Amino acid sequence: MSRAWDRTGTWIGWAFFSDLSNALALTLGYMFSRTVTMQYPDKEKWLPYSRYRGHHFLKRDEEGEIKCVACELCARICPCDCIEVVPYEDERGNRRPAKFEIDTARCLFCGLCEDACPADAIALGQQYEFSSFSSRDLVIGRDDLLTKPGKAATGGGVVAARLDTKKDVLVEASEPQGYNWWRNIRRT
Amino acid sequence: MELIVALGLIVFKVALLIAMLLLLPLPLTWLERKIAGHMQQRMGPMRVGWHGLLQPVADGIKLLTKEDHIPAEADRFLFKLAPILALAPPFVVFVAIPFGETVSVLGNEISLYVSNMNVALLFVFAVIGLEVYGVIFGGWAANSKYAVLGSLRTCAQMISYEIPMGFAVIGVVMLAQSMSLLDIVRAQADVWNIVYQPVGFFVFFVAGLAEAQRIPFDLAEAEGDLGAGFHTEYSGIRFAFFMVSEYVIMLLVSVLSVILFFGGWNGVLIPLPPLLWFALKVAFFVYVFMWFRFTFPRYRYDQLMAIGWKVLLPLSMANIIITGIVFS
Ligand code: SF4
Ligand code: SF4
Repeated sequence: MSRAWDRTGTWIGWAFFSDLSNALALTLGYMFSRTVTMQYPDKEKWLPYSRYRGHHFLKRDEEGEIKCVACELCARICPCDCIEVVPYEDERGNRRPAKFEIDTARCLFCGLCEDACPADAIALGQQYEFSSFSSRDLVIGRDDLLTKPGKAATGGGVVAARLDTKKDVLVEASEPQGYNWWRNIRRT
Repeated sequence: MELIVALGLIVFKVALLIAMLLLLPLPLTWLERKIAGHMQQRMGPMRVGWHGLLQPVADGIKLLTKEDHIPAEADRFLFKLAPILALAPPFVVFVAIPFGETVSVLGNEISLYVSNMNVALLFVFAVIGLEVYGVIFGGWAANSKYAVLGSLRTCAQMISYEIPMGFAVIGVVMLAQSMSLLDIVRAQADVWNIVYQPVGFFVFFVAGLAEAQRIPFDLAEAEGDLGAGFHTEYSGIRFAFFMVSEYVIMLLVSVLSVILFFGGWNGVLIPLPPLLWFALKVAFFVYVFMWFRFTFPRYRYDQLMAIGWKVLLPLSMANIIITGIVFS
């Protein structure tokens, strides 16, 4: 009985286009809900989380000395074979990298180099804007790696930004956090 | 002297109408993309001008400067003729469409229509029927399988939906006792036709969707299976012609819905200028067209035909009979 009722109800609903009008109501609802578009790079930019694996950077110790001991473990573990380390001995008798190059064109940002490093010298930071017209520009040397930005302190937000075609995409806002992008998503 | 003034007025009106119809697709494309964006929680065009307002202009410049490509195997004459054939009928139809009674400019009463034909409705349907030639020729001349399939579908679709569309408005003609669009609107001064003719409106609007080749009946250019349908091979300005004609037809169906079923420029409750009322109603229907487009999926081809012949045609005929019995 109730089953037959249900089926009749469905048929009546179809006769009055209940399914079509439900769809129309849904799209109208979305029409007046917030947009989720992040206006990158014109107006906004995403700040990555601190766990984000972006461009590599090399760390310095308290004395400003490069931490890397040129053990080449990172080069060994790298699945893409994109790190090249050439060691030398500095005046204090420490083993240091004379050459430390990462080919970021081949890198898959797995973070294994960071895990393998016994000296906590290399890590993957927050920078993700380093596209280039030439793959040769993507081979990054030791001195550049030392100046790359480190891990994000906060992250996970969208901050105001401005596109500077001469340089990079610059984050302009002083606020460290930005708004939480997920908050804008309409869930029904 | 009288004659020259009258003639000048007509020429002016026609020029104004053409300019308006040629320019209206620009804001309409912008609106369509904005609505599409917001219904999908996007923003739509944002980069050119304030909220992308200049985007249609940029698109227009792009279309004008693009290579005008004609396939090597195409029938060159028909290929060039088709966009014009597609563009002309929707413009011609607007000659018979009234936008209001009269406005007084500098003390002179000027009518808001180019001509008040006593068979305006017939004229509208006759001319709209010609639209199909542009589509057939365009698809045939391009000598491409997608275009031919698209144009075959379109022909069948347009011809079969013209029939219920024509029957659907007979109820309106019976109520107004006239085929003049002006008289039809005047007859709705108290009660809009939608009250007496809900079924007629339903059939008319669904057939109008098919006629304007909008989703859910846009089989002519089903991107998913036919490339772009009958205008697959067109580029540049000729493609723009098809695009403009599509938007003008959408506008036309909206205008006809308003005139035939929603009281034309007769307002309710709020006393606004009649022309504004008219524009608001038309804008609403244009919005409904876009709303449908971004809500519904496309019907299958056999479903389309089944709806046309098995649902809309009997409905429109029943509507005529019932109207005849009730209002005689
Ligand atoms: S992140 Fe992975 S692929 Fe990239 S350099 Fe480190 S180990 Fe190699
Ligand atoms: S970065 Fe770490 S793992 Fe790589 S060579 Fe230097 S110390 Fe060794």
